[in-house]
Amino acid sequence: MKQKSREALSGYAFMTPAIVILGVFLALPVIYAIVLSFYRVQLLGEVDFRFAGLRNFIRIQDDERVWIALANTIQYVAIVVPIQTILALVLALLLNAKIRGRSWFRVAFFLPTVTSSAVLTLIFMWIYNSNGLLNNFLDAVGLPTYNWLGDPQVALKGIMLMNIWATAPLFMVIYLAALQDIPESLYEAASIDGATTWEKFWCITLPFLKPVTFFVITIGIIGTFQLFDQSYIFSNGSGGPDNATLTIVLLIYQYAFNRLDMGYALALTLILALVIMLATLIQRYFFREESLD
Amino acid sequence: MRKLIPSAITISLLFFTVGCRSDSNSKPVEITLSGWQSNPNEGKLLDQVIREFETKNLNIKVKREVINSQYMDVIRTRLIGEVAPDVFYLEAFEAPALIKSGVLEPLNSYIKPEFKLNDFESSLLNAFKRNNSVYGIPKDFSTLALFYNQTALKSAGIAQPPKTWDELRQTAKKLTIDENKDGKIDQYGMGIVSELPRQTFMIKAFGGKLVDQTDYAAFDSPEGLQGLQLVIEQYRRDRTAAQATDVGANSNSEAFGQGRVAMTLDGNWAIPYLKETFPNLKFQTTEVPKINDRQGTMIYTVAYVMNRQSKQKAAAWKLIEFLTSESGMKAWAKQGVTLPSRRSVLAEMKYDRNPIYSPFVAGAKYGTLWQAGETLPTIVTSFDNQFVSAMLGQQPLPEAMKRAQNTANREIYLSK
Amino acid sequence: MLKTNTVRWWIWLMYGGLIIYAIVTFIPFLWALSASFKPLSEISASGGNFIPQEFTLENYKAIFAQEPLFGRWLFNSAIVAIFVTLFNLLFNSMAGYALARIQFPGNRLFFFLVLAVLVVPAQITLLPKFLILKFLGWLNSYQGLVVPTVVNATFIFMMRQFFVNFPKELEEAAQLDGLNRFETFFQIVLPLAKPALAAQTIFIFMSSWNDFLLPLVVMSNPEMFTLPIGLNAFKGQYITYWNYIMAASMVFTLPALIIYAFFNRYFIQGVTFTGGKS
Repeated sequence: MKQKSREALSGYAFMTPAIVILGVFLALPVIYAIVLSFYRVQLLGEVDFRFAGLRNFIRIQDDERVWIALANTIQYVAIVVPIQTILALVLALLLNAKIRGRSWFRVAFFLPTVTSSAVLTLIFMWIYNSNGLLNNFLDAVGLPTYNWLGDPQVALKGIMLMNIWATAPLFMVIYLAALQDIPESLYEAASIDGATTWEKFWCITLPFLKPVTFFVITIGIIGTFQLFDQSYIFSNGSGGPDNATLTIVLLIYQYAFNRLDMGYALALTLILALVIMLATLIQRYFFREESLD
Repeated sequence: MRKLIPSAITISLLFFTVGCRSDSNSKPVEITLSGWQSNPNEGKLLDQVIREFETKNLNIKVKREVINSQYMDVIRTRLIGEVAPDVFYLEAFEAPALIKSGVLEPLNSYIKPEFKLNDFESSLLNAFKRNNSVYGIPKDFSTLALFYNQTALKSAGIAQPPKTWDELRQTAKKLTIDENKDGKIDQYGMGIVSELPRQTFMIKAFGGKLVDQTDYAAFDSPEGLQGLQLVIEQYRRDRTAAQATDVGANSNSEAFGQGRVAMTLDGNWAIPYLKETFPNLKFQTTEVPKINDRQGTMIYTVAYVMNRQSKQKAAAWKLIEFLTSESGMKAWAKQGVTLPSRRSVLAEMKYDRNPIYSPFVAGAKYGTLWQAGETLPTIVTSFDNQFVSAMLGQQPLPEAMKRAQNTANREIYLSK
Repeated sequence: MLKTNTVRWWIWLMYGGLIIYAIVTFIPFLWALSASFKPLSEISASGGNFIPQEFTLENYKAIFAQEPLFGRWLFNSAIVAIFVTLFNLLFNSMAGYALARIQFPGNRLFFFLVLAVLVVPAQITLLPKFLILKFLGWLNSYQGLVVPTVVNATFIFMMRQFFVNFPKELEEAAQLDGLNRFETFFQIVLPLAKPALAAQTIFIFMSSWNDFLLPLVVMSNPEMFTLPIGLNAFKGQYITYWNYIMAASMVFTLPALIIYAFFNRYFIQGVTFTGGKS
């Protein structure tokens, strides 16, 4: 009994800094947001609060742009998350093998992550433009070329590619760190039992990486659901043409900052949060870990 | 003796006030000025003007802050937090909503006759008025005019730039060239920016209007569509026009500078950029070609406004007064990015007689001010979203505009 | 691992893939580097060439020499990033460890809350965060930037996922030796978590170094700007000065890259539980 309460006490002690800071600077704003989503708010100048009940939420039903944005975002998540996760894992496995020059490869692969987003945007403009690198390459090998920046159908694919390319190295680093934690003794024991490289990967490496993969996928989902910058830059904030690049966060931004309709924007945020939670829970079902005991 | 007492009081009072004044002299007040800058040189120029102001007003110190991204988001956040700058830039487009919310100080009581308020172009000043109160002093303005590449026109055998929109389309056809006959066009006749801030005057060309009296969107009328249809036709049917992304440029001005488009409607701000960045480019400007036998263009203006919460209002006004006075404005307008908003300064600096700037000056008389009610942000988003789609041929223009107007008006209705 | 001749082709394939991918990641960086030595006219006019036709140092001179506050901004950025990184390493690891290893009432609830705060977009919490900082009187101060970011929910989550995998035997042994939780954590667990801590260091440093939104609203005094805010002045209202932006982002990228290259060594296989078996 005493053991148990001491354990609980040390648990809270470990959590204290996190609870205080997250409480003040994240939970408080989030509570504020939840409360305001039930109001009509005018914060600028004469502050004006009017209780609106569920009106902000009912309004979502009539707002066709919400559903378009949701569909676009989900499509984006469904394509980007699996590809970037697998790419990151493959890169990490390759660079964890005992190969010559792996330190150099690691630095080179990480470059997209440290390059500022303004630079990335310009570089991609240069690669994607109609006379750009990509089209020249496609032309040379006899494939059709596209207006990668002007045509919304391909533009979204272009944004996906850029996102995968820039995010995969981040997750690669996390996988590399996780791979260090696998005790060598496990592999040695397997070798003695005559396991092949493939079997070792399938039966030792992958199960061991499960918790980290859960992290990588969850963060990937959250990050892609919050896609904003690229579609903002691409459509100049409108989400066009014909809502093709409209994402949920872009829509929230439009309501919160352009129309100053805080209450409605926050109601949308809550809906987004619920969707992400749902996606995370579904995912967690597949990654169920052994209980803590 | 009886006379002595009051005079003693007077004298001591005088001492007291003098004492007060010298006290305030020793402690200068500090005011903050926030704005953006189009380039680093512009910032240096403004700093010079401010130093001049400080030497004339030793008890005022000015702190200048540059906010080049998400300017209005930052200003609004600071206004809500009541820590906003004393004086800041405000675009005409954002003015109605901000004035209505009551965060700006009305300036009427500060303005003295010597300031010569009527020297300002009235269309610019009106952008910052509400119920006869002035909330901002326009610091400068820009308009659109037709830029044309002289070399391209010459080699196509065109002597004169187009004067009407029909001529423009004919000229654009001659200027659209596929040099090496590979099926890819190397030079388009015209560069297009499809956004509402650049297209509003097209809506008005045949008598359409952007919003109605209640600030609902009203551009989806036969008259409004007629003007916009000209843009779509040139882009889709003639195929003599291109957007920046079509030709792999970062901006319309860059596409023109690179010679990918031979003509374009652009603002006076592009003049220093083109001269600096493309020294070999030979270009000239002329007024926007007449549509429906009428002149039209866009006008953009920015004002200095005062924060109602400012604790240094007298000093803040002194700064605004100095920056928008004839001499302050002259120093500022030297850069050639924007045009001075005072008629006297505009004339004195001979912008109206400079061939490259005069089309922009002329535009100020007949242009459409980029401003509408507080609902404009909703309308812009909706219009831009659907107009691009019509440009791409995803849907016919009438359908696109109908959708744009319906979406905007439903959102406006729901937010009321 | 791959010693036999029969799999030699596999090695070549692997190298081929790695080199191609390295080129794909390297080209944009190289291009940005070369652009930072070009005048704007050259970037705008053609842009495609790697070797500047008109090599110039003007862009670097412009951002270093002409901007009197550049040194101050660099200092601000460094101070903030260093403190934020140190606190995060400590606090996130502690919280992650507690969530993964210690049984206390509310353990699962806290884990859920950590996930919950992650899903709210930063744009939305910005205004309330700003009002709280104003209430605390921390606008235009270092603590205004440091304190709200000394804990990061993402990396609490990450550290938890790492600690879940740790072999329990070591901790049990430590407890038998009479070490309490704190001693176990600092003496046994943290030293073994070097790879995870190295990854965290890189990410936290980078995100603090690149942070834009919070400093943009919190810092209104130019002397308190961090580099991203200060250098933003080169992004013109009408025209973007790519030459300055490229030079600035090179100056900007270098510290993050050095940090990465330095901590990279912790990812080299061999630092395992069994004690330096390689």
